[in-house]
Amino acid sequence: MLIELKNIFKWVNSGGNRFFLLKDINLKIEQGAFISVMGPSGSGKSTLLNILGMLDTFDEGDYYFNGQPVHQLKEKYRSRLYKEHIGFVFQAYHLIDELTVYENIETPLLYKKVSSPERKALVSDMLDRFNIVGKKDLFPAQLSGGQQQLVGVARALISKPKLLLADEPTGNLNSKQGAEIMELFKRLNQEDGVTVVQVTHSEKNAAYGSQILELLDGRIISK
Amino acid sequence: MIKNYLKIALRNLWKDKTFTGLNMLGLTVAFTVAILLSVYALFELSYDRFHENIDRIYNVYTTAQSPDGPEVSTAKPIPFALALQKEVPGVEKITKYNGGNVLVTYGDKQLRMEAAYVDPDFFSIFSFPVIKGNEQHLVEDESSIVITQKTAKTLFGEENALGKTVNILQQGRQRPYTISSILEDIPTQSTMRFHLALNFKNQSDFVYADNLTNWEKSNHRVYLKLSEGVKPSQFEKATRSFTALHREKFINDLKRDGVLPDTNGQYIQQRLLPYKDIHFATEKNGTARTSRLYPYLVLGIAFLILFIASANFINMSIAKSSGRLREIGMRKTLGANKFQLFFQFWGESVLIYSLAVLMGIGLAHLLCGQFQTVFRTAASFTNVMGPLTIFAFFTGVVVITLIAGGYPALFMTKLGILQSLKGKMEASGKNRLRDGLLIVQFGITILLISGTMILWDQLEYMRSKDVGFNKEQVIAFPLNGKREDAQAMQLLRNELANTPGIVNITASNNILGLGKDGTSSTSAMGFDYKGRGVTTNILIVDHDYTETLDLQILKGRSFSRDHKSDSLGLVINQAMADALQEKDPLRAHIILNDTVRYSVIGVVKDFNFQGFDKTIAPLTLFLNPKWNMRNVYVKVSGSNPLQSMDRIERAWAKIEPNAEFLGSFLDENIDRTLIKERLMTKMIGSGSILAVILSCVGLFAMSLLVVNQRRKEIGIRKVVGASVATITILLGKEFLKLVGIAFLIAAPLAWWFSFQWLQGYVYRIDLSVLTFLFAGGIVLVIAIATIGTKTIGAALQNPAKSLRTE
Ligand SMILES: Nc1ncnc2c1ncn2[C@@H]1O[C@H](COP(=O)(O)OP(=O)(O)OP(=O)(O)O)[C@@H](O)[C@H]1O
Ligand SMILES: [Mg+2]
Repeated sequence: MLIELKNIFKWVNSGGNRFFLLKDINLKIEQGAFISVMGPSGSGKSTLLNILGMLDTFDEGDYYFNGQPVHQLKEKYRSRLYKEHIGFVFQAYHLIDELTVYENIETPLLYKKVSSPERKALVSDMLDRFNIVGKKDLFPAQLSGGQQQLVGVARALISKPKLLLADEPTGNLNSKQGAEIMELFKRLNQEDGVTVVQVTHSEKNAAYGSQILELLDGRIISK
Repeated sequence: MIKNYLKIALRNLWKDKTFTGLNMLGLTVAFTVAILLSVYALFELSYDRFHENIDRIYNVYTTAQSPDGPEVSTAKPIPFALALQKEVPGVEKITKYNGGNVLVTYGDKQLRMEAAYVDPDFFSIFSFPVIKGNEQHLVEDESSIVITQKTAKTLFGEENALGKTVNILQQGRQRPYTISSILEDIPTQSTMRFHLALNFKNQSDFVYADNLTNWEKSNHRVYLKLSEGVKPSQFEKATRSFTALHREKFINDLKRDGVLPDTNGQYIQQRLLPYKDIHFATEKNGTARTSRLYPYLVLGIAFLILFIASANFINMSIAKSSGRLREIGMRKTLGANKFQLFFQFWGESVLIYSLAVLMGIGLAHLLCGQFQTVFRTAASFTNVMGPLTIFAFFTGVVVITLIAGGYPALFMTKLGILQSLKGKMEASGKNRLRDGLLIVQFGITILLISGTMILWDQLEYMRSKDVGFNKEQVIAFPLNGKREDAQAMQLLRNELANTPGIVNITASNNILGLGKDGTSSTSAMGFDYKGRGVTTNILIVDHDYTETLDLQILKGRSFSRDHKSDSLGLVINQAMADALQEKDPLRAHIILNDTVRYSVIGVVKDFNFQGFDKTIAPLTLFLNPKWNMRNVYVKVSGSNPLQSMDRIERAWAKIEPNAEFLGSFLDENIDRTLIKERLMTKMIGSGSILAVILSCVGLFAMSLLVVNQRRKEIGIRKVVGASVATITILLGKEFLKLVGIAFLIAAPLAWWFSFQWLQGYVYRIDLSVLTFLFAGGIVLVIAIATIGTKTIGAALQNPAKSLRTE
């Protein structure tokens, strides 16, 4: 079991009222699963994903990642955990504008203190695999949206994460570009055994996953 | 990793050329100026520090009670030094000191030189190391002298100076002296300066030999080195019985006159002035006060300027940081921890700062020469450079970068990941800091501008004040030749007689203001008048003195060639007339030296014969053309005074071909006494100009950012119908409010500082609210102009365009 969420609540207080963003979330994700999270806008999809990725905190409940109780861990250990095991892909790509494609992909390795020759090998591999060797010295602004997202995925995968979290990864892409990314996710899931959790609004993209999770008003209404 | 940081730092700096440029410009200029000003301040503060015993060297001075309150005197009688050493424990070494001008002849070379008459112990108290010749027992032998390296060069060129004999004109005849030792050149930061040193006993009999046991005549300074562990206050106390013993007569006179003793029951108190303070000492209420105000003020300005530039930097970094929050958030999700991010962003600041510091050092080095000329200082890198200053400088730079670079870095990296990723900053807090910094910036600017204006006003006031004598048409110069003074005067009178443009000629033993040769002196005396002690400054004058200087005669007449008895006549000023307390001062007679009876023949209106920091003191003029006259005064007619100056110079060259002509108009002499004030006006003035420029740079950058960040808002407002004017006001308002607050804080401060400073002048301007309002107004106008350039542009822009770029 990679992830286990038990009775997770998250709320914000506004004007004396407690407004629930997430209500009583119970969820188990097996290693190697491919889950698509769906639901109307404002239903809490991003919130859930951020909690899974440990970017955000929750107010009540237990979260076990790889058997470790995340809710009890100090910030330092939590960040070590997600640094090791989780990769993120965002709708808005979030590439660093001042770095080239190559350097963007390389950055996570720098923070993991990977040696220089090893870094070179890993990044070259990744560039090959994503077919973007020719673009490696370009800056994000010189790429199309689809290509930028490709780099985003490459960067998320470079540190060989167990879990890939993607929040509307195809939101800014046209359907052809979107399909390419989805194919890529599927391959990663099936060939490399990477667990994938993606948020999407499109039924078609959701179908790439092995399981669909429906959210409404912060509650899971169907698995 | 470092490489990655460096790369991104450079790319970022490059991408934002405007901001990098503005920052670099501001910081470089600030560092350049701050370095130059600090060099100047450190130079001033390091005066006399080169003496190894500096902490134990003191100048002995006296505070004597008088009817007008306590008075300070540094002059000592001849037997004083030796007696003090013998009778009061705690003196390790003591020396008499007198400075004087001597005429030195070597072969056909003839030069005026500064001589120091000292006791042999002088050289074991002060550190003037010998580089050649006899190292011990300097000037012990009364026929040998000690000269500096520079003097050796002027006198002998490349020849070996040791053992050579030169002649010095003393008491009207040439006396030979052998050069026994050569001293290292005197450091620039030395208050004491001389070309050569002689034994104290080599002075004229009039000064030394005639006064061996005379306690009534004081004519030189005394310096001493206290024994280890002796406290100066302890020592001062210990001198009381010594003073009581030797100055008994004088003390009794004071008692008789009803003069009150000081709080310790003393009429005369010997005091010690630490030699390290001597460069900064002024007299106030009977004790020497040390004030390092000016150098610290300059240092303060340096820091204020750095502060303004750094505040700009902080403000710009924070304002720009929103553009980089996504990068920070992203890096955090990629595994960067806070420290790594902090160092990345701090490192970028360090990069900018290091570059600015390096360029600042380079520029300061290049501009040092000009700085020296403009501010008339010998301060340079070499004479303040030491391990301590270098260490302090780098510590300073590190601390500044730590704060200026560290704060924005901390600010950016402490935000939560999600918040950073959204690229939004919480609006609170940040504006408070920005506003605070801007207020302080404007405040400093207003402070400096009003300071400059007040300094300037006071300076102009003193320059243009009616000093009571004709300063525009009188040329003065020192009698610096070989001829005897009276003879020289006679020749000059003959030479200039019937010369067109020359109105009157006279001479006196003192200069008004400060002459080109930079010397000035005062002499004073006290005597008993109708059972009271009266002190007066004295001035020995030649005929035509009052006429040449256009002094206004209030009563009686001036000296005249027609009255042979005028050598026993006195012309006094109004203050002296008041001191005599006579209904008719023309009836006053004064007995001097017990027998000689002088009578007052005239009263002149008070004129400023001393500085503007003193009230006009009693003054008595004696007519004695045969006396040591020192200075010539020539009144010229109003038409073409410069031509007259030429004529006088030529006449002087005929009479004294070897002497330099150092003539200057008296108003220039007065200007010369105001050198400190002028210097400060220049420094604070340039400081405030720089402060204005730097604040403008900051303000410009801020308005640029605000306009960029609010482009969308501006567009929407225009679509909804807001006019250009309302938008401009909307954008400018918040900054102008800050100027207002800054004014409210800075104006009272400026008022208080200037008020305190002006207390040091007896003749001073009245502070006017207008000055401060004007300073605030200047800042306001400049601020409006700076903000306006950007905001009006933004307000004018087509809303469709600004909305599209969002
Ligand atoms: N910091 C916050 N404070 C208050 N409310 C918040 C906060 N963050 C999110 N919300 C609210 O929580 C709810 C869930 O937000 P979330 O971003 O998870 O929605 P979502 O399902 O991802 O929607 P979308 O499909 O539009 O991205 C929304 O109603 C949002 O307004
Ligand atoms: Mg969302």
